[in-house]
Amino acid sequence: MGKTLFEKIWESHVVVKKQNGPSLIYVDRHLVHEVTSPQAFDGLRLNKRKVRRPDLTIATMDHNVPTNDRSLPILDQTSAIQIKTLEKNCKDFGIKLFDINSPNQGIVHVIGPQLGITLPGTTIVCGDSHTSTHGAFGSLAFGIGTSDVEHVLASQTLWLEKPAPFEIRIEGKIKNPHAVTAKDIVLSIIKHIGTGGGTGTVIEYRGEGITDLSMEQRMTICNMSIEAGARAGLIAPDEKTYEYLRGREYTPKNFESMIGLWRDTLKTDSDAEFEKQFVLHVDDIAPQVSWGTNPGMTCDVTDSVPSADEFAKGDLNQKKGAEKALAYMDLKPGTPIEDIKIDRVFIGSCTNARLEDLIEASRVIKGQKISHHVRAMVVPGSQMVKKQAEEMGLDKIFIDANFEWREAGCSMCLGMNPDILSPGERCASTSNRNFEGRQGTGGRTHLVSPVMAAAAAIKGHFIDVRKMDLS
Amino acid sequence: MRGNVIKYAQDNIDTDVIIPGQYLKVHDYAELATHAMEGLDPNFHSKVKEGDFILSGKNFGCGSSREHAPIALSHSGIKAVLALSFARIFYRNAVDGAFLLPIEIEQDAYDAISEGDEIDIDISTNEIRNMTKNKIYKMKPFSEIIGKIISAGGLFKYKPDQD
Repeated sequence: MGKTLFEKIWESHVVVKKQNGPSLIYVDRHLVHEVTSPQAFDGLRLNKRKVRRPDLTIATMDHNVPTNDRSLPILDQTSAIQIKTLEKNCKDFGIKLFDINSPNQGIVHVIGPQLGITLPGTTIVCGDSHTSTHGAFGSLAFGIGTSDVEHVLASQTLWLEKPAPFEIRIEGKIKNPHAVTAKDIVLSIIKHIGTGGGTGTVIEYRGEGITDLSMEQRMTICNMSIEAGARAGLIAPDEKTYEYLRGREYTPKNFESMIGLWRDTLKTDSDAEFEKQFVLHVDDIAPQVSWGTNPGMTCDVTDSVPSADEFAKGDLNQKKGAEKALAYMDLKPGTPIEDIKIDRVFIGSCTNARLEDLIEASRVIKGQKISHHVRAMVVPGSQMVKKQAEEMGLDKIFIDANFEWREAGCSMCLGMNPDILSPGERCASTSNRNFEGRQGTGGRTHLVSPVMAAAAAIKGHFIDVRKMDLS
Repeated sequence: MRGNVIKYAQDNIDTDVIIPGQYLKVHDYAELATHAMEGLDPNFHSKVKEGDFILSGKNFGCGSSREHAPIALSHSGIKAVLALSFARIFYRNAVDGAFLLPIEIEQDAYDAISEGDEIDIDISTNEIRNMTKNKIYKMKPFSEIIGKIISAGGLFKYKPDQD
């Protein structure tokens, strides 16, 4: 029997395999940021251990950096300490750091691919659940906690029980790719399989609906694999993958000579078997909007807010969850999604803050002003994205529309830096999580694509972007 | 292990409500514990006692990989979380850092155990004894490796060579 892409990458990284037990897996790249690493470095010091492969470890600061003027001091002292601590740890242990003033600084999952650090067939870990993003390059990439960060720093390996391969086929062609995006595909998937639908698996996304996508769109899909509970998301590399990585700052010198091998090996064999399968037809999918407090609580923009019973389909816990979500979100069942007014718009995060996301959003904005009752911000995923966008004049389009144009970071995705919602504020957000309090205590998050967020900023409420001229 | 149950009869308790993002900068575990479950139950800190257990539904600990979540619960006094299922990163963090036991239970135990019940957990027999209601339920056994890491007291104390 043939093997899946996941199994091939897994097997090529096994250092030790215990019979009927876990395997010790070699880690090719370890990405580090300021929030989940301090205790891991403390642990190394306590046990007088070194970093085993500082050359394979790369750090940046993204979670709690302010996104306003970088020449200003960081006012939050605890954030300033965490940032200083990462600087000291990287210096002490010889790790390359893209610090707050580096032109390469940015969200760790944006800069990895952009710098050519993310490569096909590799294993990548980071103390961040959205490490699944890197799977778009055919790399087995997953998030870990701080104890495991310490284990990888010390040994460059991790004990892992083998997840099950899960095939998600995306069939068909999207009719209007400017209006219906990768974000809508992945939200649709989670809406169908649920937030626990991928637990214990590595998802491989396949089919025409995936190969049609650009690398940046593929990253959006793999990014949200964790929101379905999966360990990782994977997409087999193809010519788009190689073209994207060619000539980047850290793309290895032997890159061209590796491509032949990757073409031959990094794919699922035709007779391989997956333990689980799901098919999504994308021909007629609508832009998606989340209405609740987890990413599975999502519907079409043309729908109305469901009742708890409609959502739960007889499951008691689901019903209670939906009732609680509707109360938290202050939404009445039956309200058309397009009638929901918003206060804030956030275009950013490791899900949707790449150049293409900003280009697509700018099409909607161009020549228009945001609604008078909306405050909107664009936070590029990296300083490099910001620079490229400015070279294209996108900053002017956003600023002219009254968007705030910020410095790179995780920003309002997670409520641990100055960019937060006030209690009760309702936000159209391109991020990945709509959990209670995620964007600030009492804040209400609706997950949408960049185009949908931009349109909501202009209209002051959600609108089906398929009705707009986006050519 | 014996203690009382704090029950959250819902699925999908995420790590953002277990420990909201603004506290990820807190390095003092005792202080972190004062904010445990704050996003879901602001009274948690005042009601939790040393040795208590949390009982919940499916997909407990979903979302962010923050190890602060099991740490905050552990330093609040929680010795185990009993749930119908766990998100994998939370499960792994709980075990690897030896913060608390993630115990998978069946629907019968989930339905029958109430808030405040005193229960006794025996991981050698995989039994949960409800002292208040005088009932016994089965827990799902830990896999071999998880059992070994738990017995060793966490990932760094586990010595695979001695297997």
